[in-house]
Amino acid sequence: MPRDVLSNTSNDYEFVGNFRPPERSTREAIKLLLYNREAGTVLGRTGTSWAKIGLFYLIFFGVLASLFAVCLWVFFQTLDPRIPTCKLSGSLIGTSPGLGFRPSPPVENVESTLIWYKGTALKQYQHWTNSLEKFLEVYRKPGLTPGRGQNIYNCDYDRPPNENQVCDVDVKDWFPCTQENHFNYHKSAPCIFIKLNKIYDWRPEFYNDTNDLPHKMPRDLKEHIIAQKNINPQLLNTIWVSCEGESPADVENIGPIKYIPKRGFPGYFYPYKNSEGYLSPVMAIHFERPRTGILINIECKAWARNIIHNRQERVGMVHFELMID
Amino acid sequence: MPADKHGRSDSYRVATISATQDDNKTADGRDKSRKKAKKGDNLDDLKQELDIDYHKISLEELYQRFSTNPDTGLTHAKAKENLERDGPNALTPPRQTPEWVKFCKNLFGGFALLLWIGAILCFIAYSILASTVEEPADDNLFLGIVLAAVVIVTGIFSYYQESKSSKIMESFKNMVPQFATVLRDGEKLTLRAEDIVLGDVVEVKFGDRIPADIRIIESRGFKVDNSSLTGESEPQSRGPEFTHENPLETKNLAFFSTNAVEGTAKGVVISCGDHTVMGRIAGLASGLDTGETPIAKEIHHFIHLITGVAVFLGVTFFVIAFILGYHWLDAVIFLIGIIVANVPEGLLATVTVCLTLTAKRMASKNCLVKNLEAVETLGSTSTICSDKTGTLTQNRMTVAHMWFDNQIIEADTTEDQSGVQYDRTSPGFKALARIAALCNRAEFKPGQDGVPILKKEVNGDASEAALLKCMELALGDVMSIRKRNKKVCEIPFNSTNKYQVSIHETEDANDPRHLMVMKGAPERILDKCSTIFIGGKEKVLDEEMKEAFNNAYLELGGLGERVLGFCDYMLPTDKFPLGFKFDCDDPNFPLTGLRFVGLMSMIDPPRAAVPDAVAKCRSAGIKVIMVTGDHPITAKAIAKSVGIISEGNETVEDIAQRLNIPVAEVNPREAKAAVVHGTELRDLSSDQLDEILRYHTEIVFARTSPQQKLIIVEGCQRMGAIVAVTGDGVNDSPALKKADIGVAMGIAGSDVSKQAADMILLDDNFASIVTGVEEGRLIFDNLKKSIAYTLTSNIPEISPFLAFILCDIPLPLGTVTILCIDLGTDMVPAISLAYEEAESDIMKRQPRNPFTDKLVNERLISMAYGQIGMIQAAAGFFVYFVIMAENGFLPMDLFGIRKMWDSKAVNDLTDSYGQEWTYRDRKELEYTCHTAFFVTIVIVQWADLIICKTRRNSIVHQGMRNWALNFGLVFETALAAFLSYCPGMEKGLRMYPLKFVWWLPGLPFMVSIFIYDEVRRFYLRRNPGGWLEQETYY
Repeated sequence: MPRDVLSNTSNDYEFVGNFRPPERSTREAIKLLLYNREAGTVLGRTGTSWAKIGLFYLIFFGVLASLFAVCLWVFFQTLDPRIPTCKLSGSLIGTSPGLGFRPSPPVENVESTLIWYKGTALKQYQHWTNSLEKFLEVYRKPGLTPGRGQNIYNCDYDRPPNENQVCDVDVKDWFPCTQENHFNYHKSAPCIFIKLNKIYDWRPEFYNDTNDLPHKMPRDLKEHIIAQKNINPQLLNTIWVSCEGESPADVENIGPIKYIPKRGFPGYFYPYKNSEGYLSPVMAIHFERPRTGILINIECKAWARNIIHNRQERVGMVHFELMID
Repeated sequence: MPADKHGRSDSYRVATISATQDDNKTADGRDKSRKKAKKGDNLDDLKQELDIDYHKISLEELYQRFSTNPDTGLTHAKAKENLERDGPNALTPPRQTPEWVKFCKNLFGGFALLLWIGAILCFIAYSILASTVEEPADDNLFLGIVLAAVVIVTGIFSYYQESKSSKIMESFKNMVPQFATVLRDGEKLTLRAEDIVLGDVVEVKFGDRIPADIRIIESRGFKVDNSSLTGESEPQSRGPEFTHENPLETKNLAFFSTNAVEGTAKGVVISCGDHTVMGRIAGLASGLDTGETPIAKEIHHFIHLITGVAVFLGVTFFVIAFILGYHWLDAVIFLIGIIVANVPEGLLATVTVCLTLTAKRMASKNCLVKNLEAVETLGSTSTICSDKTGTLTQNRMTVAHMWFDNQIIEADTTEDQSGVQYDRTSPGFKALARIAALCNRAEFKPGQDGVPILKKEVNGDASEAALLKCMELALGDVMSIRKRNKKVCEIPFNSTNKYQVSIHETEDANDPRHLMVMKGAPERILDKCSTIFIGGKEKVLDEEMKEAFNNAYLELGGLGERVLGFCDYMLPTDKFPLGFKFDCDDPNFPLTGLRFVGLMSMIDPPRAAVPDAVAKCRSAGIKVIMVTGDHPITAKAIAKSVGIISEGNETVEDIAQRLNIPVAEVNPREAKAAVVHGTELRDLSSDQLDEILRYHTEIVFARTSPQQKLIIVEGCQRMGAIVAVTGDGVNDSPALKKADIGVAMGIAGSDVSKQAADMILLDDNFASIVTGVEEGRLIFDNLKKSIAYTLTSNIPEISPFLAFILCDIPLPLGTVTILCIDLGTDMVPAISLAYEEAESDIMKRQPRNPFTDKLVNERLISMAYGQIGMIQAAAGFFVYFVIMAENGFLPMDLFGIRKMWDSKAVNDLTDSYGQEWTYRDRKELEYTCHTAFFVTIVIVQWADLIICKTRRNSIVHQGMRNWALNFGLVFETALAAFLSYCPGMEKGLRMYPLKFVWWLPGLPFMVSIFIYDEVRRFYLRRNPGGWLEQETYY
């Protein structure tokens, strides 16, 4: 009955109203928030209050961090130090490698792909040659790469490496693209180095049928492949490389190109198994007479049946600009 | 912010402030600036302000002034001229904010502004990029468009919601058009009330609504019900004679929108439309500043908080990015990311939807909410000032007691007479019943055959109706009784006589005598009697009997009942044979020496559900104050019977009586209850009023002028209470407006009161308010939960950005994915929390303190941001590291590679396994990480949703019966899966399909959230009021 409820509740019920907190200006309120002498609070809390909440969060974050660490530790148990968990199409790296070029533009200009230097003075091109020297150092001195010394093997098309062996890349006698020759930068006919991206366990599918070369492949490369086949059919096991100017104007400006030592990457370097001491094959592109004072857009493509090309996404190719003043 | 001052979303209130700008002239052309200056005060001056003289001047002068004629009315030409000059006779509706302003408010208010800034920054970044680079990345353009779209869509959504709720209001405006009978050029025309002009001669009859303020020039038994204007519910007679200086009191004026109850009259229109008394009150009410609703304050508070955090973090990291040497364009992009991550884009829409859902639920329980935000206001209400008539009571006079044969008998008013306790055959009752049935002019309205007697509508005065119903129940067909006892003469009730007499032929064909029956004020009736009818015998009315009568009269009066005395007299045949011509105007028959029969007392009984509802309010810590225009004794009696004054609580007067000491000697603090008379209230200073409001828990204000309601409301508000006011009359509208939540009556309420109110009780029942309070409290709790849920995901959204800037790792979570969380997966679960049941009996706790109990407080932020959000962020980073590592980038190698990673020029980025990644491949990896991070947030939000269901109880106790929420869980998961796996998403939203195992890394964290919070709440329950509660109970 309502009456009962009433008599029960009316006794312990006392209406006091909600007393308004004293009105303060914003500045005063902030001041009080920062330090309230009366209550002894800093930022709304007393020392002990800060200590308590600090301790609480310390423990909380401590426990959270250890939870995170435990999870990460458990996860690391599933990883192999040499073999990535996801490979090829199972990984987002996919099955179509891209290309990389050296020398790299300076670090502060990381968004740029322009190789630009002036004239013949050492100072002008020093960055580029230094960059290349650094890049090639590991090739020149096998001792720099752990395990390369004992595993190095002089591979050839008929002499593929055994397991754990890594093939040698002899960059020393690629004249004119040698360190001693400043990679020919001083003659305004520079060498650019090209390499194929490493993808674990990726095996190229070579164009071993010369009648089945893709339509888009440049004609000179096709002719080159056929010529190579006539020398030795085993040479077909190569990932071919072609470099061209992007636009018709670039094609005109680019001048003759020389591929050193071969026009491609020999197949015996693949697959990449993350073996100790492995270095990916490189090749030099020697621009023999590029037009100076003008920017030349160059793209180099790698050719194998399982390399897709996409200019927009820079897949299966590399793009860089060359400008020699 | 001046705009915030009136910042209700229901913007018509804002607009009405200027709506009173008129020509600054009163109806009679005088300057009324004086009135406007005082407007801020209150309505007390209303009566004085009405200084019109139309009621004082002679009729001739009146006709002359309006160039009209009482017999032919205005000429058509003149009427047309007047109409063109004054405009239609209708109240100017409060000016609506133009739709585009409302739309813009939704488009640019709240967080929208912040997001617009984000969008504009995006466009700027893009255009700068576009002008410098040949092939600009369209990321920024895309994000800018998305952001703009988000703002526009949410803006349109809330605009739509708002216009939907204001449409409910519109429906009240479309009243049935009123018609009036007007004399023009000697012809009687029926015109729409709007077309009436000054000087028109109008005819009104009972049942009509007075079409304008009129001066009566002719009347026949004309009575008006002024209750909507003055709150006095007694019908008042009106005639041509000038009786009082005060226009509201004088008899020769009838006012616009009051109702004619009886009789007919003819009058000259003296003011129209907004210039009528009613129009002025309506205008006055709209000028009152109402301030923000509590929930609007809370939301503003919250928006300021979040915006502050967003701007602070954004600017801080903008500066940090500069110091770290980032390009300024990058810094701008960071800024955008931080803003987007910080702003809970979907939250305001969620709040709107939650409130709408509750509003709908309330509407189904007879509480129609006009203003969405009012939904919650009722929940924070700490004081209800309730009207008596119609709200607490049934607004139906009912016979409560009878006194005959020297005993008081409770009348049986049940439909089937099941409660009959008295002897119906006793001669005393028969005599009393005969008088009550015959001396009664009330009749049932025709065409109500199926309606139960108690609910039938009656033509006539409320007490006569009560008698009629009582007799109809006790005797059967009253009309046939009246037919059998033909009425030959009647003197109607008037205020000087205070009695009513009718003379009938008796139904006994053999009895040639006439029966005279009389009823009226008991003391008057007693004066006219010399004998009394007791136990079937006529006795001399001696002092002893008079004493008995007095005791009965006092007892019934003390119950707050309206008492009527009844007597009869058989006129002797020799003097008054059948066919005798009785003269009513000059009585030619005796009116003294009659036979007293008994008393009957009537009361407007409380509604059945009200005592329960008042008790509920009590236990919910809500003070219920009765404010009524009624007599203090009646008011107190009703207050006692519904529990507003609880049993055993005494007023100062009661204590004085008990102790037999003067009232002045009683310590007012001892009395918990108080009955304050309107005249006392007038003399009280506001301090004294505060004292009364503070120290008495149970207060009844009686005989209050309706304007005093406003003072009472202001007094309560001064004490920091959130006040709900109920009212139905026009005169209540200022108080309704001033109140934090005005509650108008759907049935009895006047249109002006409905317009001023925030909520309308469709059944006029006080108990519905309690349901409203319950819903309001529930939604406040549930909004807290909903906001806690939504805010939590802000941390996993913002921390990737911070890590991106500070640790130089590839971005773990993109802006678009953040939007997918805020506006996609988080929406339905957040809304579903509105359906959550209350954890405990919310009607057993005190109302929230608006100054300390905030919707979003530091504890909620601490929980959402500091604790649960951190666990969620850990989960997100874990899955990010897992995917990166499985693809080749071990965590340690990620730090510091951001620049290389994000450079399109680097086509051969080496990972931990020596593999070299093209730009496209690693971006694909990054977006996969975004997707996985997103999915993981969804997974940890499962746990968050479940822990947000309760703030104190265990989930085991609460159960998973909220099916909307369960659906929300499924929905967010399905949506996440859809976004991840639907083909084409990698193009549109940059979402990539995930391997199944990448759904799993979040699970341990999800479980930890669940366990952590269960443990926390277990501890809360075990240690109520403990440190953990002070720090984490939001």
